[in-house]
Amino acid sequence: MKRALRTKLLIEVGRNEAIQFANEISTKYQVEEIQAPKLGLTMIKMRESAQQSLFYIGEVLVTETKVKIVESFGIGVVMEDDEGLSRALAIVDAAYKENLPETQNWQGEFEKLEQRYQQQLQQLKCSIERTKVNFETMKI
Amino acid sequence: MGYVAVTGGQEAIEASLQHLTYERIKEGKFIDVESIKATMRGFLDQVMSESSLYSERLAALAMKQSEGNVEEAVFLLRAHRSTLPRLYYSTVTDARDMFVIRRISASFKDIPGGQILGASHDYLHRLLDFSLVEETEQDVLRKKAEFEAIEVPEESSLPLEKLPKVMDYLRKEGLINEFPLNDEEPDDITKESLTFPSSRSERLQILTRGQTGTVTSLGYAGLRGYGSSHPNVGEVRVGYQPIHIALDEEGEEYYIGSIKLTEVESFIPANVSEDGKEVLEFDIGYGACFGQNETKAIAMSILDHALENPEKIPIHDEEFVLLHVDTVESTGFISHLKLPHYVTFQSKLEQIRKIKREGVTNE
Repeated sequence: MKRALRTKLLIEVGRNEAIQFANEISTKYQVEEIQAPKLGLTMIKMRESAQQSLFYIGEVLVTETKVKIVESFGIGVVMEDDEGLSRALAIVDAAYKENLPETQNWQGEFEKLEQRYQQQLQQLKCSIERTKVNFETMKI
Repeated sequence: MGYVAVTGGQEAIEASLQHLTYERIKEGKFIDVESIKATMRGFLDQVMSESSLYSERLAALAMKQSEGNVEEAVFLLRAHRSTLPRLYYSTVTDARDMFVIRRISASFKDIPGGQILGASHDYLHRLLDFSLVEETEQDVLRKKAEFEAIEVPEESSLPLEKLPKVMDYLRKEGLINEFPLNDEEPDDITKESLTFPSSRSERLQILTRGQTGTVTSLGYAGLRGYGSSHPNVGEVRVGYQPIHIALDEEGEEYYIGSIKLTEVESFIPANVSEDGKEVLEFDIGYGACFGQNETKAIAMSILDHALENPEKIPIHDEEFVLLHVDTVESTGFISHLKLPHYVTFQSKLEQIRKIKREGVTNE
């Protein structure tokens, strides 16, 4: 599973799972906190569609944490002020980088998260679909 | 003489600040930041856009602290922003990847994916709803449950996460100029002061964080004869935009969350020269900003086009537009007029008195 999808699932629908995975790792391995959760900014680089050039639309608040497990560094970055999730993401990231055996067992959990995420999107889509204009049924 | 009051001034300022705090709490009422975040969507979107800082929680805090004063809230957030380190730049963010929750076109009735109204004030009668005066938490929960119980289709085939652009219609017909992808690194007005002539990236960055009222007013002025960019709104889209960063040299993407974004493309007729002949094409005016700020984004698209086509008319003049649309700069400069100018005023007063005296003597 790609890192982007993994972080997306944990951030969007898997906060509890991220913290649970991180606790599991923390009880079995020494997690060295290289950098405690800290607040910072990420500047968003945007593609404008008129001339296809790039510009900066503004910054978003993020929380960043860095940890080390055995020989691998992990990083957790998440929007807003969220120390708990940022730390958990960093530990999960380091666990995958170190290829810890526990990560093999998480595969099923990530599949469930993927289902939950798709279900959530589908619900939103179905609700939004009601606001789609059907010109054929409009009375003039 | 202006400086004599400084010591006494400090005490008066302290008392003034106590009064300010008292004004916020004197009714004995309280609103928590989470409630503001949950219920003041429009305010948060405006403030995040103008402050150029996306954080609903900080915007809600700024609203509470400023007692709902937008210019003060934007000032607070800009100041706070300056205390934080910039840790990352996102990878290129493209609104084609937005999960769309509202998308309309004023130019075409039938568009791929259809006209999706989403949530908007546009279709309301603007009548005050007095039932909200007595609304309770129970009412809110009941209304929420009622909405969630509405029967919806079991499945949706709407491709909301990859909705095609309306302007692709015109591009296919060759009615809009094609531009190749331009990956040149943008300029950043938060790092380097603006100089003229400005770059396109500087213009867009200034406009997107411009004061909503000013951007709207200047766009409106452009339509009323103080400019020559008259658009048809090709597409307004609002939705959740995923944001990624690249953490390592391999550039593997890392998802950090999504932001609410409004993007507008306006179609503006333009004469272009082709094989020695004048032909009519469409230019695109571009607008985009944090949150759901549709009026601002449309006005931005007018100003974007106007500044791409400089003329000796106010809204086509980049110095006129770009130096005056910023909330902190304009409100800061205007409000500094309230600060003591005793010495300069006394000097002017003395000059005028002298001229008057001499005038009388000369007679």
